[in-house]
Amino acid sequence: MTAIIQIEKLTKSYGEHRGIIDIDLEVAEGEAFGFLGPNGAGKTTTIRTLLDNIRPTSGRALIFGIDTTVDPIAIHRRIGYLPGEFALYDKLTGGQTIEYFANLRGGVDATYQQQLVDRLDLDTSRKFKEYSKGNKQKVGLVVALQHRPDLLLLDEPTSGLDPLVQQTFYEVIREAKAEGRTVFLSSHILSEVEKTADRVAIIRDGILVKVDRVEALRDLAHHQVELRFAGDVPVGAFAGLPGVSDVTTEDNVLRLRVSGSITPVVREAANYDLLDFVSREPSLEETFLAQYGRGTGEAA
Amino acid sequence: MTSEVDRRPAPIAPAITGPSLLSRVYGFGSIYGKAMRDSRRAVLLIAIFMGLLLVGVSFAIVQEFNTPASRQQLVAVVAAVPAILAGLAGKAVNVGTLGGYLQYKYGSFFPIIVSLWAILALSGTLAAESRRGSMEFVAATATARRRIALEKLSAHLTGQAIVALVVFVALFVVGRSVNGLPGDEISVQMAAGYAIWLFLLGIAAGAVAFALAPFVGRGSAAGVAGAVMFGGFIVNGYQAAIPTIAPLANLTWFGWTSNHVPLAGQFDWVTLLPVAVVAVVLFVVGVEAFARRDVGATSPIPTPSLPRALVGLQGPTGRASGQNLPSSIAWGIGIGLFGLAIAGSGKSFIDELGKATDFVKLLNQVFPGFDIRSVGGFLQLLYVEFGLILAGLAAATLVGVWAGDETSGRLELLLATPLSRARWVISGGVAILIGIVVVTAVAALGIAVGAVIAGGDVVQPVVGSLVLALYAAALAGVGVAIGGVFGSGYAAPAVAIITILTWFLDILAPAFRLPDAVHALALTSHYGFTMLGQWDPVGIVASVVLAVGGVLLGAWGFRRRDLRG
Repeated sequence: MTAIIQIEKLTKSYGEHRGIIDIDLEVAEGEAFGFLGPNGAGKTTTIRTLLDNIRPTSGRALIFGIDTTVDPIAIHRRIGYLPGEFALYDKLTGGQTIEYFANLRGGVDATYQQQLVDRLDLDTSRKFKEYSKGNKQKVGLVVALQHRPDLLLLDEPTSGLDPLVQQTFYEVIREAKAEGRTVFLSSHILSEVEKTADRVAIIRDGILVKVDRVEALRDLAHHQVELRFAGDVPVGAFAGLPGVSDVTTEDNVLRLRVSGSITPVVREAANYDLLDFVSREPSLEETFLAQYGRGTGEAA
Repeated sequence: MTSEVDRRPAPIAPAITGPSLLSRVYGFGSIYGKAMRDSRRAVLLIAIFMGLLLVGVSFAIVQEFNTPASRQQLVAVVAAVPAILAGLAGKAVNVGTLGGYLQYKYGSFFPIIVSLWAILALSGTLAAESRRGSMEFVAATATARRRIALEKLSAHLTGQAIVALVVFVALFVVGRSVNGLPGDEISVQMAAGYAIWLFLLGIAAGAVAFALAPFVGRGSAAGVAGAVMFGGFIVNGYQAAIPTIAPLANLTWFGWTSNHVPLAGQFDWVTLLPVAVVAVVLFVVGVEAFARRDVGATSPIPTPSLPRALVGLQGPTGRASGQNLPSSIAWGIGIGLFGLAIAGSGKSFIDELGKATDFVKLLNQVFPGFDIRSVGGFLQLLYVEFGLILAGLAAATLVGVWAGDETSGRLELLLATPLSRARWVISGGVAILIGIVVVTAVAALGIAVGAVIAGGDVVQPVVGSLVLALYAAALAGVGVAIGGVFGSGYAAPAVAIITILTWFLDILAPAFRLPDAVHALALTSHYGFTMLGQWDPVGIVASVVLAVGGVLLGAWGFRRRDLRG
């Protein structure tokens, strides 16, 4: 697979303030990549560096094999970008705004543009300043998507969208991916990344702490297991199993936390007369929090 | 007894200290305190400006017109001022005295300043905060909406009162200190009469904006209040010259208080009462509207949109030009009306000026090098000298519109398209220059009409007025260069500051007989006397170099720096 985004030891400092530090990352063609982190972690700084809106202090980033600081225009021709926070022309209508950006790009398929407008349920006749936050976000999405870019850089894309429109957005992203286009999506909403991304990177305090497939990230996380026994609870049989921790009992119920593979617990449980076995798959959010909770970074 | 047994000592609550009195008055201890803190710069700036101007001008007047004969000439000049100019000045009562002249020359100018300040502040104090969303947080606290409105209003009224107090003190000091001619004394009653009148006129204009803002939003409220204020001022000033508008003069406080000329020793205290009553009523309307209506819910007054062809959707130059167009036309009309008034009154004014030799001598000292008793000289003195400031401020406005792309954040989206950084700067620069052409063309139309009315030469004033375009283009180039290299947020303020400093330098250097090298720092000193047909190539070349070079420098600089987030 061709790497669409290659980030090598990318660092951006703002004087005394931290930006991002030694970020290494690759995103392959046709991949949907989630970029996760809490507010202020460095997500937007990374994206703005990719766009050449800000210049790296050291390291470099290549998009489509082009150094972002050498020929940003060649990159911009092939990308669609939605900033996390943006303003547009207050006195233009949504339709005029979309038309203007289509003119700046050239070659926009008017039918596809209209489809996006319809699917996002956007009233293009109103002035931008009259829009709600969600409708402003829709205008931004149409601007980013209308030219069918090879790479989508989306910073917190569903911010302000209602759940129905969010579903439409996820559909559009899946379609883009199905067409072989690449999506780089930053978010602090984990379920959003879970729904759209193949791989996830987690950034904290400007440092990349994890890069992995969404599924693998889940596997790395713990399982919350609850076993209801017909008889007495054999605490000792489970407490010593690999990966088991936080063992508690209440009446005939045993609760435990399993890190890594759950197989030893399942095998041991098969030796007993059970009324119930519940294993809750961890959400990405729990994985995320677990990563942050440890307080150490594991460089990707 | 049981109750005694069960009774536990009350837990000792940690000592919670509320905000200090000082922070409630000035700081973050209350809405009032924060509003006072927010307006501190405006209060200081206006108070210092007015105070120093009054003191400085008073000493200058007494020094320059230090004989009864020169005072007689001053009275004659004032009497000779054509109606088209006299309407903009105050009532000419006892202008041979210091107080009378101050009231005539600056008396009507100061209320305009405090009124504009009040309109801008009181139209936005609630509406702007509602629009940007911070009012949601403030209104969600335990503070009632009426109290929020009252505290914000009180803060502005305090600021206005401070300015009025400073004006009173300045007049009081002047009244005691100047060693003028008999009749130059300014009594406490005169100073107080002026300060109270100034305060009431300011808050009355602000009250209109404050009452309207909850209904129509900040922009429309400020627009309507500004129109009422300026309209009232103009109608009152010109009612003698244009009798048909005289019945309208009494619609505003300018007309009501027209016989209150306190610095000239003429008082009409009773007329101040209705001004106060109207202001209070409008304040009550504003407070109640804010308390009863939805936060931020307004019905803006519809304004005409630009025709589609002028909106500029085809590319960055067109878009930037489309954005500039309303400001360009507005500045053009403003400068054009100024030109119309000056050009239209030129001939009659210089006829009278010829009789006031001392006054002409004074003017020639401040504005040397040309004969102000010619029509061209008169236009050079009044239109070019002041038009250059207006042209500079127009350039600052257009540079600010261009800078808005970056300061608002939309440049992030623009530069994510194949639009290069250099092209954005150059397109913006070209659009600013197009805007300046529009400003100058509309302004030239005004001066042409004025020249036709006066029955004089049209071509030379129109060609001479093109100097405004050269100067504005040069300043725009400087602004784009600063914006490109250092950040576009600095561009417009820098242009405005350079405009004002240049004007002061150009005026003060000859007046204070500063070395030529110092005077030469002002670009405006290098254009020659364009209204007399004398063009200095140095100024023309310097302006073109600054305009073109500035845009190119800005494009180069912007390629090298980070976009401001």
